[in-house]
Amino acid sequence: MISLFLDSASTYMMVGIYRDTEELYLKIEENDNQLSEKLLPAVKKAFDTVGIPLSNIDRIYVVNGPGSFTGVRIGCSVAKTIAWALKKEIIPISELELLASTDTGDQNKIPMIDARHNSVYTGIYDAELNSLMEDCYTSLDEILPKITENTVVISTDSYDFETMLPKVNIPLIIEKHKQDTPVNPHGLNPNYLKRTEAEEKHDSNCG
Amino acid sequence: MKDTYIFAIESSCDETSASIVKNGSVEIATVVLSQMDIHAEYGGVVPEIASRHHIENVTMVLEEVLEKSNMSMDDIDAIAVTYGPGLIGSLLIGVQVAKTLSLVYNKPLVPVHHIAGHIYANNLVKPMEFPLIALVVSGGHTKLIYMKEDYSFEEIGGTLDDAVGEAYDKVARVLGLPYPGGPMIDKLSLEGQDTYTLPIPLDDNSYNFSFSGLKSAVINLVHNEKQRGNEIRIADLATTFQNRAIDVLTKKTMRALKEYHVKHLIIAGGVSANKILRNRFQELCLENNIELIVPKMKYCTDNAAMIGAAGYYAYKLGRRAGLDLNAKATDSLK
Repeated sequence: MISLFLDSASTYMMVGIYRDTEELYLKIEENDNQLSEKLLPAVKKAFDTVGIPLSNIDRIYVVNGPGSFTGVRIGCSVAKTIAWALKKEIIPISELELLASTDTGDQNKIPMIDARHNSVYTGIYDAELNSLMEDCYTSLDEILPKITENTVVISTDSYDFETMLPKVNIPLIIEKHKQDTPVNPHGLNPNYLKRTEAEEKHDSNCG
Repeated sequence: MKDTYIFAIESSCDETSASIVKNGSVEIATVVLSQMDIHAEYGGVVPEIASRHHIENVTMVLEEVLEKSNMSMDDIDAIAVTYGPGLIGSLLIGVQVAKTLSLVYNKPLVPVHHIAGHIYANNLVKPMEFPLIALVVSGGHTKLIYMKEDYSFEEIGGTLDDAVGEAYDKVARVLGLPYPGGPMIDKLSLEGQDTYTLPIPLDDNSYNFSFSGLKSAVINLVHNEKQRGNEIRIADLATTFQNRAIDVLTKKTMRALKEYHVKHLIIAGGVSANKILRNRFQELCLENNIELIVPKMKYCTDNAAMIGAAGYYAYKLGRRAGLDLNAKATDSLK
């Protein structure tokens, strides 16, 4: 099974091609706010380099959040359009789970993404990336008590110190999700974990 | 000659739209999904909410237009997309989707300026004749454009502050009318009298417009009348405001036609749906022997058919974009 892996939700843009869990290509690049210009050329380059046509993929794994709202939308719009146009399977992946994959220890993992206003996007995963607490948007005060000596906190800057790039374990993610039921491309949408400020304000005024 | 089919995408504000247009003049099928009801609750378009709805709906809109047209992507010659100007988050969805389709189907990608689209909406009514003057009036734009031939745009004037449609919406809000206020003012002005004192905005020898002062004059008038305990005659104030706005639009447009020796006028953009504006131009053009084209009502607001019409001429001229095309919130028409 050939899979395309896409992530544009965080500070790194990732484009990968995998045969089952074998990496055929992986490009991780720091996202310098030119994501809209860079993502599709990077996808094209990936397939050109590997030498297989885009139409030969079986499945797309796309990170659909949480993270930068615009970044998530850019990745999702590309992924869902490919999946719709070529009738390919598509599986959403959590950015928090991807972050959790950067730690190989036995401890439970608490990935965190800064959501400003003293809040974070977070969740809890075990060593096999099973979710122990659903991804959520919460205040730091709520999540801090869950950090114990049996947990490890992972933030976006967990680099591989040789490459200075995040040491994500995409084969592990693919292995974990290979049995997932693919979603309908129309229904593949960002998982922001947070409503818009306008909606929050609107509801608090009405409520 | 072989027919040319353009698959067009428009997502610059709060409408997700796709269309297939033949030879720049024949609409094969169009789907427009408007978010107007959603944004009405907020009194105007909320950019982040608009972006969220675009991504949720976009592939369904693509699918529906293909179903309606009974065509497949194999029949399509090029993909056209609005790259700007507009709301950046909204534009980005259409641009990414168009680029992806271009990659997947190996079709040329044609970038289209949103205003070129509004102008070419008229080409779906009847073939545009040149030279012409285009008056573009919408919630985001007020421009006078001279076109000596297809896809040649010379901006001879534009608003220095608010777009005319923006002034309509803000005045409507002050008058307590529901969003979108422009059509409400137009409707009310059929019942009202021009009895208030309001200035004609930027009544000078340029082709520029300014609607911010007129808008402020209405706001101040409402405020002062309320302080005095006087009742606001909403229909009369709507009529007076609309007359001043339309007076300046018609006056400068008719002068441009005369000075540029042009016999063809087209009106484009959301405010071109305004009945009083249409009537006034129809009378003036008849008097002055000018041929007027106004878009069909369904093409006044944002839609992809107009992008498909403009995209055809851009395609014929060899305008192309690569997979690195970005959306632009602002960009001049060229």
